[in-house]
Amino acid sequence: MDPKNMNRRAFLKSTIAGFSSFIFLPFPKEYQATALRTKAEKMPKIPARVLGKTGIKVPLISMGVMNTSNPALVKAALDAGMHFLDTAQTYQRGTNEAMIGEVLKGRPRDSFVIATKARLPQNPTTGLYTEEATEEAYAKKIDTSLKNLGLDYVDIYYHHNVWVRESALYEPIINALQKAKKAGKTRFIGITTHRNEPEVIQAAMESKVYDVVLTAYNFRQKHAAEVKKAIAKAAEAGLGVVAMKTIGGNVRGAYGAEEINAQVGLKWVLQDQHVHTIIAGFTTFDQMELDLKVMQDFTFSWPEREYLQAHVLSSAYYCQGCGLCLTQCPQSLPIPELMRAYMYAFSYKNLVAAQDLLFSLDLPYEACKDCASCAVKCTNQWQVGERIRQIVVLREISA
Amino acid sequence: MGKKVRHKIKEKIGLIIFLIHTYCLLLPCYLNWAQAKDFDFPEIAGWKKFSPILIFKPQNLYDYIDGAADLYLSYDFQELFVAEYKRDKKASVTVEIYRHRNPTLAFGIYSQERLKDAQIIEIGNQGYIEPLTLNFWMGPYYVKINAYEIGPEGEKTLLIFGRQIEAALGEKSPPPAILSFFPAQGKKAHSETFIFKNFLGYAFFHSAFMADYEFSGKKFKIFAIQGRDKKDCQEMMHKYLQKIGVAKELKEGLYRLPDPYHGEIEFFWQENLIWGILNLDDQNLRAHYWKFMKMN
Repeated sequence: MDPKNMNRRAFLKSTIAGFSSFIFLPFPKEYQATALRTKAEKMPKIPARVLGKTGIKVPLISMGVMNTSNPALVKAALDAGMHFLDTAQTYQRGTNEAMIGEVLKGRPRDSFVIATKARLPQNPTTGLYTEEATEEAYAKKIDTSLKNLGLDYVDIYYHHNVWVRESALYEPIINALQKAKKAGKTRFIGITTHRNEPEVIQAAMESKVYDVVLTAYNFRQKHAAEVKKAIAKAAEAGLGVVAMKTIGGNVRGAYGAEEINAQVGLKWVLQDQHVHTIIAGFTTFDQMELDLKVMQDFTFSWPEREYLQAHVLSSAYYCQGCGLCLTQCPQSLPIPELMRAYMYAFSYKNLVAAQDLLFSLDLPYEACKDCASCAVKCTNQWQVGERIRQIVVLREISA
Repeated sequence: MGKKVRHKIKEKIGLIIFLIHTYCLLLPCYLNWAQAKDFDFPEIAGWKKFSPILIFKPQNLYDYIDGAADLYLSYDFQELFVAEYKRDKKASVTVEIYRHRNPTLAFGIYSQERLKDAQIIEIGNQGYIEPLTLNFWMGPYYVKINAYEIGPEGEKTLLIFGRQIEAALGEKSPPPAILSFFPAQGKKAHSETFIFKNFLGYAFFHSAFMADYEFSGKKFKIFAIQGRDKKDCQEMMHKYLQKIGVAKELKEGLYRLPDPYHGEIEFFWQENLIWGILNLDDQNLRAHYWKFMKMN
């Protein structure tokens, strides 16, 4: 029955026919105490880490509520021990905060940890704040979040979506956050970053204002190594580190390959002890159960290792061939081909193929000798000069 | 062939390769520009359209709305056009037009963001206004208009913008037919939502329409899940029964089922539709509603 073609008469006809077969299924005495909930209750204690100098104990995986409007899912997560919830005022225009507020009603305030965030207008090209971004406007945002959530205070209020150093240090917002902290509206101040993360994390550390950083972090990031380093520095400096976009910012699929991606992504991040918790944006109970399972054991299975290896290797060694380097190199070296030779040697471990390619290129004997530092800015953020130095010496080795 | 000639040929080949390469690099920009011409932001009297018009695709929506992008992407977001209008040094209005794959999906994302106490106005298929915001849904478009520093005439200004954008978007499309079959008694006005995926937190239940009700002092929800066909609904029901651990031969009709996360839910499955009543613990009232639906 296609509703587009369904008229009222057809609907009534089908409804009346259906009522003739009213089915009451066996109804358990206490339907709420179902097998599933019992399973969640029986789960071992959830592994936790301490969120840096805040001292807050957080589960390894927390709930990023952004993609769901289902209060039952939030309730289930809390009941299962995922007591750290992450939201933002921009998620569903504040209705996400309001929905969480409804769920939290009646729960002891010390039984959950809540983080929310807000942003002010930025120039989308430069990442710098526009003149509408005032301290007063941000203070209003904080008050609106508290009103939406129905709370007197939140545990972390994040300065949201920063990708340049200047914005991380933007005084009007920092002032508003510090005043809110002093007034008891937020216990801690955080900052979130989705790109150019190392620069923002460094700025956050230097500012001495922020207690927590929430950063994009996943094995698919081209600059994952740099993010990893920045995270380590931040954690060592006492900042709480929360990871997001652990599956590369993809909306999680329900079954099949996407589910494996999610699991591998979570495990990969959890291997990094400097990450204190992940906010996972699950939208189904199955995904939640998977996350609960991953927290208990985040060692990789063999298929997961192979999957990860395939993805990491492809991003770490595979030159995209954009060709932008060709105009940057003063010696006009055939960089894409050299990067291909590098991949043959260090990823495929095929020295002969690497040498064949190297000898086919008309390279100067001492490549790179005239440059004190490499002028090439690779879109993969590779240290091109270093890779060239490592690969050209293979011409001297007998295969 | 002399060395000079060979060198010149090499130079020309290099130039051609460079031009092809440059063209390939610029092609995406050209495509964005070409599609931007598909929607002409109207001129608004007294306001200057600030250039350039920004265009975002699924790949870079994060750059504009960060983590909120996930939800838009899950509603098959196609593209976003953003225009900024300025009047004087401070006053500005930003118009965002999100295009989704079809009108139902645009309604879905609109309904996810509509506040419960929104002041509904007649614009597009449905819209609402706040002191500095006017949002509406029309066909495959979800339009968000935000004003900054526009003083006391904010609402008037937003309505002027809203009407002009509405006119520029063309014809309205009819609302989803199924919404007219929700019982009217007790239904909260403008509470209908469309959830595209993972309804009730179960991946096997795909899209559903849902509305809020308040009747006889009880607050509850009525929903309708649309399957592709009868078999699709049968599969959904089968997976649901499996999930909640109920073994029963499946046939069309009314089911009262214990859901581990939502409490008791009553479902009524007929052909490619599954209706349900959620969060209503009063069995008599549920019976009343089924009867009411039958009689309506």
